Amino acid sequence: MNLVFRLAWRNLWRHSKRTWLTTGAMIFSNVLLIFMIGLQFGMYDLMIDNTLQTLTGHVQIQAPGYKDDQKMRQSVADVAGLASSLRTELGSDRVAARGAAFALVSSEDRSYGIAVLGVEPEYEGNVSTIPGLIKEGRFVNGPDAAEIVIGAALARNLRIGLGQELTLLGSGRDGSFAAAVVTVVGIFDSGVADFDRSFAEIPLRFFQDMFYMDGAGHQVVLTATAIDDVPELQRRVAELLPAGEELVVHDWDALQPGLKQAIRADMSSAFFMYGILVILVAFSVLNTQLMSVLERTHEFGIVLALGLTPGRLGRLVLLETAIMGMLGLLIGALLGAILTAYLGVNGFAYPGMEELAAKFNLPARFFPELTLPTLLAGPLVVFGFTILSALYPALRLHRLHPVEAMRAV
Amino acid sequence: MTAVRCVDLCKTYHQGEEKIKALDHVTIDIVEGGFVCLSAPSGGGKTTLLNTIGGLDKPDSGEVYIAGRRIDNLRKGELAELRLRNIGFVFQAFNLIPVLTARENVEFVMQVQGVAAAERGEQALEILQEVGLAGLEDRLPADMSGGQQQRVAVARAIVSHPALVLADEPTANLDSKTADGLMELFCELNERHKTTFIIATHDKRVMSYAKRLIRMLDGRIVDDIEQNAT
Amino acid sequence: MHMFAILARLAWRNLWRNHRRTFIMLAAIVLGSWAMIFMTALMRGMVTEVIKDGISALPGHVQVHHPKYRDDPSVANLIPIPDSEMSAKFAAAGLKGWASRVRVPAVITSEYDSRGVTLLGIDPERERGLTFIDYDEIDGRFLESVDDPGIVIGRKLARTLETEIGKRIVIMSQDPDNEIADRGFRVVGLFTANVTAFEEAFVFAGKSTTQKMLRIGDRTSELFAVGDDYRNVDAVYSQVTELVDAGVEVKSWFELDAYLGTMLKVMDGFLLVWVIVIFLALSFGLVNTLVMAVFERVREIGLMLALGMKPRNILGQIIIESLMLLTIGLVIGTALAWLAVQPIKEGIDVSIVAEGMDMWGMSSVLYPELLLRDVILANVVVLVLGFFASLSPAWRAAHYEPVEAITKV
Repeated sequence: MNLVFRLAWRNLWRHSKRTWLTTGAMIFSNVLLIFMIGLQFGMYDLMIDNTLQTLTGHVQIQAPGYKDDQKMRQSVADVAGLASSLRTELGSDRVAARGAAFALVSSEDRSYGIAVLGVEPEYEGNVSTIPGLIKEGRFVNGPDAAEIVIGAALARNLRIGLGQELTLLGSGRDGSFAAAVVTVVGIFDSGVADFDRSFAEIPLRFFQDMFYMDGAGHQVVLTATAIDDVPELQRRVAELLPAGEELVVHDWDALQPGLKQAIRADMSSAFFMYGILVILVAFSVLNTQLMSVLERTHEFGIVLALGLTPGRLGRLVLLETAIMGMLGLLIGALLGAILTAYLGVNGFAYPGMEELAAKFNLPARFFPELTLPTLLAGPLVVFGFTILSALYPALRLHRLHPVEAMRAV
Repeated sequence: MTAVRCVDLCKTYHQGEEKIKALDHVTIDIVEGGFVCLSAPSGGGKTTLLNTIGGLDKPDSGEVYIAGRRIDNLRKGELAELRLRNIGFVFQAFNLIPVLTARENVEFVMQVQGVAAAERGEQALEILQEVGLAGLEDRLPADMSGGQQQRVAVARAIVSHPALVLADEPTANLDSKTADGLMELFCELNERHKTTFIIATHDKRVMSYAKRLIRMLDGRIVDDIEQNAT
Repeated sequence: MHMFAILARLAWRNLWRNHRRTFIMLAAIVLGSWAMIFMTALMRGMVTEVIKDGISALPGHVQVHHPKYRDDPSVANLIPIPDSEMSAKFAAAGLKGWASRVRVPAVITSEYDSRGVTLLGIDPERERGLTFIDYDEIDGRFLESVDDPGIVIGRKLARTLETEIGKRIVIMSQDPDNEIADRGFRVVGLFTANVTAFEEAFVFAGKSTTQKMLRIGDRTSELFAVGDDYRNVDAVYSQVTELVDAGVEVKSWFELDAYLGTMLKVMDGFLLVWVIVIFLALSFGLVNTLVMAVFERVREIGLMLALGMKPRNILGQIIIESLMLLTIGLVIGTALAWLAVQPIKEGIDVSIVAEGMDMWGMSSVLYPELLLRDVILANVVVLVLGFFASLSPAWRAAHYEPVEAITKV
């Protein structure tokens, strides 16, 4: 060990209680930051996944204007063909075509106006969780079978069960009257009654026949393997679009503009809180290092008289702070990692969380995320501020006059 | 009447492997109004004896009586009360509370005793005058010389008229002229208020003021002589 | 009492002996308590907005329904009491605000398209100011009476249906006998809502007009009442319960919307956690300051003990010193938080994340809300915890042996 380092190390432990208390403040906030940031990003990922995976997907191909107006005639020609060629070109099955229309769905007793989606039965499960949420019966399977899957709440309100028939009434793409009779083959339950009440799914070909779509649909839905791959996917899809046709490729942020902003709004309040925490730690360090410099005035006076420069003394003070900061960083990161890893496996719940979480399609238990960035971001910022706050005490040394300093008690 | 009675006091300290006998079967009686000097070389046991009499330290065996009351078996709180009401202390240094002025330092003991503000203010002023500090009442300890600080300490020790004042090397940090002044003050107060003084010292000139001189060595009393004060 | 005066004086003077240390600690406490209270005010304001918006969407503090209506919101589940009978009772009861309405699912059809909506048959005069509709912000006009022949729809819906003021649309629903009930309406007004989804979900018609169309005579789907304070609805709840017969379901807003209900509770819990976290971050510095202060004063503490001051008085002195420090910091921090709230009292515009706020159920203007009880909570928690944090250094100080302390160099 080099001599300066040994000197700094010993100086730190002259007041071991004070050093531990200051390090304790760092450890406390590091553990908290690692946990909170992990929880936050774990939650964002879930929010994004849960919101997008039910129906929206990561990227959609639509006709211009459809996103805002959702009119029947804003359609994508030969939607199934487009989806199929994309599957080949991209080498991915996570592509599915859809049609969407409004229809009045009636049982013997009741009628409701809902959205009817025409889906490709064999591919829909790759871009949406609805096929996996079937609680009774099965998903639609024939490409043009007169079948429908509906939500549990809608089934209850329509007073209808598996195997029974529903009448669909709507208007076709050309504005003409569209009607069909379909059999309920499956009932899905997402857990959110209002969502389940709002739509039903039928096979795409059947949809196209019923609404006179002439092979057209309204969306091609794609999902990427990871959320970070979305821009790349969007770029490639845009390149693969057939020439001459006016189509647009939207990413999830355009399709669900609230999502990113909700995250941003939540982030800004979270970062305000983290900022306060870090500054409080910085004050703690400033106090400790200023005290430790002031109480050593006499001793520093002697060293200055011996010919050491204030600059070197300042570096000694910074080194002491750095050692303390490093201790706080290492212990804090270790404890934070243990806590977060534990909760990442066992989950974390907060009273009342369940109801709040349900609103955003989130589970009642949260699992904080532990990655290198979530682990190190907080502690590194704390470390940075620790060093910054030692600058003032270190620079004060330049004002020290050896003779006066030695006279100090 | 006996002011202080010590019977067969023993006290041993451990310093590493070594055992140090600070008090070795010490028995003394000090009469009311006495002016006693305890003298011993460093480590001779005089501070231990003084602290034991003052209830700051407990003997391993033996008994201590103050004005006829046994004190070595009292609890901490009772000892605090005893020191507060019956004993005045003057230490070698760091006698004063740094954040309080001379007058507030003198008032401090009375205030803790619960003496009314008007009364204690007057008494404090009077006593500061008596020890020759008129005009310096509102100075903080840091703004006074060592001699002045010791005088404040003396004023505080006697202000509530304790029967007994214990002083441990009160002149150690003072020059000889100031030390003489302080000792004369002690004599004067002893005469006027009939207060018993016990002063631990190894300063020859301080000893010359004593009516009774007790010499100690290795925790034992080796010499006990009455002398006429100069 | 006199002892307290002595201790307070000593504590006060000691506090300013090392004024640099005191100022740094004070700055930390000021920042901490400012952040506690300012953040609390923002959060409170946010939650209040969410709840108020939520309540105006429900609407009301208390609602009356047929027991089956909430699971099956159809015309089959009307309140089994004639509306005129109920209205007479409610009018006589002197409630702050109340209204009864018809609320059924319906399909709205223009020349170009149709959509599923919720049809509200309302009494426009009774509902003024009680719902999310601002009567003065309507394009065209709002409904004028229960017999108004017109309909008011959302601006977004009008765009989707390609309709406008003065044009006709058809509303189709069901009567209690499951027969189609439909009627043509002229669009007389377009409304905007904070939550854009409402613009597509609701259409407003006159109560009597709707009752006639649905052939339900003198019956309604729901009745809601508003009390003075949404935080305390017990009074309205019991009043309403007394006014209606058994056979209906009376629910308060927090039962009707679990999300809103828990929001308030979770908020209270969260605020406490936030205050405690800030305190803990401060506590390291606080304890450190006290440990240092005690350490520097060992000799004089010994002196006071030798002079006959009782250990508990020393304990008291250190604790008073700590509480003084905290109190000064809290007072300044609270005052600064109050000042910080003043310029943004009229609301801060957070519309850059408007749709995100929408998703959290918030509007894009944030009104901070500084509640006395939050201020008291923060201050009391800090003082109480501060007291406990000071115990350890104070205890140490009180238990010095006077002889050892006084001879310590």
